[in-house]
This record gives sequence, structure tokens and C-alpha cells, in this order.
Amino acid sequence: MLLKLSWKNIWRSKLRSLVVIGSIIMGIWAMIFGNGFMNGFIVSYMANSINHDISHIQVHHPEFKRDQEVKYNVESGIQKAAEIRSWNGVVGATTRTLVTGMISSPRKASGVQIRGIDTENEAEVTRLDSLIGEGTYFEEINRNPIVIGSKLAENLQVGIKSKVVLTFNDVNGTLTQVSGRIAGIIKSSSLSLGESYVFMRQEDLSRQLGIEGNIHEIAILLGPQVDPQTIVDKYKSEFKGDLVETWEEIAPQLAYMQDLYGSMLYVLMGIILTALVFGIINTMLMAVLERMKELGMLMAVGMTRIRVFLMIMIETIYLGVVGAPLGLLLGWATVNYLNHDGVDLTAYSEGLEAFGYDSILYPYVADEVYLIVTIGVFVTAFVGAIYPALKAIRLKPVEALHKI
Amino acid sequence: MSIIKALNITKTYNSTAVPVHALNGIDLEIEKGEFTAIVGPSGCGKTTLLNILGGLDHPTSGEVSLAGTNITTMQDGKLIDFRLRNIGFVFQAYNLIPVLTTQENVEFIMLLQKRPKKERDERALELLTQMGIADKASQRPSQLSGGQQQRVAVARALASKPQFILADEPTANLDSHSTSALLDIMAKMNKEEGATFVFSTHDQRVIDKARRIITLEDGQIISDETR
Repeated sequence: MLLKLSWKNIWRSKLRSLVVIGSIIMGIWAMIFGNGFMNGFIVSYMANSINHDISHIQVHHPEFKRDQEVKYNVESGIQKAAEIRSWNGVVGATTRTLVTGMISSPRKASGVQIRGIDTENEAEVTRLDSLIGEGTYFEEINRNPIVIGSKLAENLQVGIKSKVVLTFNDVNGTLTQVSGRIAGIIKSSSLSLGESYVFMRQEDLSRQLGIEGNIHEIAILLGPQVDPQTIVDKYKSEFKGDLVETWEEIAPQLAYMQDLYGSMLYVLMGIILTALVFGIINTMLMAVLERMKELGMLMAVGMTRIRVFLMIMIETIYLGVVGAPLGLLLGWATVNYLNHDGVDLTAYSEGLEAFGYDSILYPYVADEVYLIVTIGVFVTAFVGAIYPALKAIRLKPVEALHKI
Repeated sequence: MSIIKALNITKTYNSTAVPVHALNGIDLEIEKGEFTAIVGPSGCGKTTLLNILGGLDHPTSGEVSLAGTNITTMQDGKLIDFRLRNIGFVFQAYNLIPVLTTQENVEFIMLLQKRPKKERDERALELLTQMGIADKASQRPSQLSGGQQQRVAVARALASKPQFILADEPTANLDSHSTSALLDIMAKMNKEEGATFVFSTHDQRVIDKARRIITLEDGQIISDETR
């Protein structure tokens, strides 16, 4: 009875109910779209960082991260990487020789990290070859081919086949200079890839460093849904003495960023739902005040206060029941449409890339967000209905019946 | 046995600086099956008395017993339930639920009483037929005339077969034809169903139809005449 009466009541003033339903639809749409947009940024940023740079897991000599000295290499690193590649859940594992140094062109110089990479496995793990925007992936230059980021190339004012000189200390601490030519230039929104790294073939760098056959880093890329910690545990059980870290430990700022963006959903929800709750209170209060006489009659003829309270609550919930699915559908459709084609932000690409974001954004919303938003809206409707419902049951029938 | 028994009822309103004594020591008994009109000039306390007899308002002093139950000190929740089970109300402004059909309005009290659907449907149609508006069963109140709406209100009050029906100025908003038709119906229901009616009115046509006339003035009963 209450359900039927409440349903009919919300259509007494169609325009007013439609305004509230419209607010709910737009509120849910805004929450989902906003979350999708923010996710688009974070997913793009994290995907860039994990897939093209740090990978899911890194292995180092325990002292390497503190001192970054050439002598701290991973014992039997190349053999370990080969074995890791056969593990379930591992997409790829590559080895790197690392040294901090300087790259100089005839015009400028810049401090960089020089990375000696296993070109074939590096392509498996970071897809570095796919990021080459200009030139080739270590081809067409026989002696010391070098790959650098576009930002670094721009700073050094060099292009393909330009000669550059790398300066660094070898394993004995002797200052060493190596000349090479630019084989390829990386096009990536990642700040590290764009201007901080210089890539060489591993054998070229190791030879110059005097550590042939040794490496400083193993980077491991995992398949989707694989928990990095399980692979870390497996590594620790198989090999002793190395420092094994997940991406959250290697780049805590990324994990923090992920948490921050996750909490932004709640901030956004808080703002939108606060506005919505006042809209609902206003509407339901109007609905109560304009039928005080009728509510008085209902209580006079024997409708209990709890039933009157429930009737107002159900009316509000109905507004949510009508609005929420439409809002969810609209939000879902918008996000999926944009996820398919991407949002072109090339007009702002310079600014976005300065922060490591892609200029094409692919909004994405996790399934649980739809549930969280739905719960949020219904809690809001519930909260918004309480005051008007209390107002209704505080009416004295004898007074309410004589209201004009 | 009296259906309604009021003992030394007083009601004073203190909402203004000067207290208003709406009722001053009302003693009243109404028997089952009566067709009683409470009459008097505006402001004499008719509506206040009816509200107190219906348990919608509390007296300042005195006692009200309805169907053998003292309602004066009854808690609000119990009083609502008591009203639901024992009293039918007809209001001056009809007070039908605009979003429900005529039949649904008539069934409403029975619905609150959780009566079975079959019983509700049969009783509602029976009453609507007796009221001469069975053809309006599926129409909304806004599609009915004032007289028809008040007939629906009477049918709603009668539907659950209450102990008595209180009607506050039931004909005040009706034309003479509708008033006459409504009075005939209420008299018929009083006779056929044994329904006890208590009106507050200053409509002479209602007064003429009543079998007992209680006249109020300044919150006191100045005459109680049975025809």
C-alpha cells in the first residue's frame, strides 16, 4: 500500500520530481565521468611508468640503490633473468647495466643515467622499440648506437646520426669517454624516457665499464592480474641475497598517486552528493509542506506516524530508483564511448606531457565504482528524506487539518 | 451503553496572551445508532468538541470514553490505532487522497486495517453503489463534483464499519441539491447499517434531518433536544 501510494505521490508534481531525478542523473553521470577522467590520467601515467620504465619488479644488489656504484652487480643476473622468463605470470625479464654520467653534444651537455640494455628482452619488457619516433632501434649504426628521448635530443640539439659523447666512471673509478651516434629518438610522455635516460647496447656499455657479463638490474614485467608480491616471494625463495622490490616500493610516489586519485572519487562524490542532498531536502520539504492537510487527514483516520515516515522515505528512494539507473547508464555509455575513441587533449599536450601524461586520454571506470556511486546516491536520498519525513510526523492532525 | 461519553470536558487555548476557553464543562452521552447534530454559532466550540470526541485533540480537563475505552490519557500511537479501528471521519473539505481513485479512497481505511482484498473490493463497491457513484469508481477525486467527493468521503468513513462517524460541517461546501442527496444517504446508512453519526453543523438542512440536536454556545451545552 505504501509502495503504491508513494509511487503515485512522486508524480503529483511531475516537473518537480523530474528536476530531482534529473539532478540525480546528472550527479551520477558527473561522478562516473569525473572518476573515469581521473582514472584515464592515472592509468595512462601508471601504464607509461610501469610498462615503459620501471616494470612491476626490479632486482638489484642490496648496496646498489644506496651508492649506485658500478661494482654492485646482481650475481649471475643474466642467468637469473633467463630462468625468471620461464615462470608463470612473467611476461618478460630483462637485464640492464646502469651508470650515471653525462651526455655531450657539440653544443650542450646533460646529466643522465646511461642504461646498457639487452635490446631484445628490453623490447619484450618495456616495448622500448615501439616508442622510437624517429630513427631506428639500435640499427643502421655499427659502433655504439645510442637511443635517447626527444626532450633530451631537443636539449642537446641533436638528431639521428648526430655524434654524442658519454662520460662516466668505470668499475675502477677511471673517467671514461665513449663516443657514439644517435640511432633512434624516443617519443614518450614519460619524463624519464624523454630526458633522463640514454640507452646503449648492454655489451657496449659493459665493455666500457669493465664489467662484461655482469648487470646491475633485472626488470620483470608481469601479466595482468598477477600479484607482484607472489613473484617477489618466489624470487626470494629461489635466489638469495638480492634486493627485490615491487613497483610500489621502487616508485612509492606512483602508489601514493594511485591512492590519491582513488580518494579523489570520494572527494568528488562528497561535493556532488552534498549538493544533491540539499536538493532532495528542498524538494521533499516542499512536497510535505504542500500536503500538510492531507498528511493530517492520514494520521487522523489512523495512519501511524511510522507509516507516514516510511511513505516520505519511500517517495525519496523512488526518485533515486528512477534516477540512479539512468545516471549509471549515461555515465557508463559516456565512459565507454570515450574509452573506445579516446579524448583528444592534444591542444594541451605540451602541458600534459610536461607532467608525464599522454595527450590522448582513455577514461576508465572500475566496476565497483558503479556500486559505490549507487550506494552513495541512495544513502544521500535516505539522508535527504529524513528531515522532511520527521517534519511530516511531527504534524498534529488537528492542526494540520486546518492548514489552508 | 453509550458509544461516546464525555465528562466535564474543558478546553482552553493559551496561544494568545488572553486564554480562550473553547469548552466549559461539557457533559455528553451519545448512544449507538444516534443521528446527532451539534449546532451553534461560529466559534461556539463545535469543531473543538468534535476533535476531542474523535481523539484528535486532548481536553484541558475532563474525560472522554469511546466505546467503553477512556481515551483521555491514551498514548498517541495507541490513539491512532484506536481511531483507525473505531472512528470514521468526514471532513468539511472532503480530504480525499488526490492520487488515488474513488474506489481506492474508499478502501484506504480497510487497507490500513489490513483487510483482505476481496473484502475491501466488495465493501467499497457496495458503498459506492449505495452512494450512487459506482460508475465513478475508477475516477480520481479531481474528476468528481463536490457532492460526489463528499459521498466518497462518507463511504470511506463507513467502509470499515466504525463504532461511530464524526462529521465536521460535512455540507458546508455543498450546494443544496448535493446537501440534500448527501443527507439522504447518511440517514439511509444510519438506518440500514446502524451507523452512529455525530455532525457539527450550522446548516439548517442538516439540523432538520437530525434526530438529536445539541446546541452549544460559548463552549457550553445550552440545549439537548431529541426528536
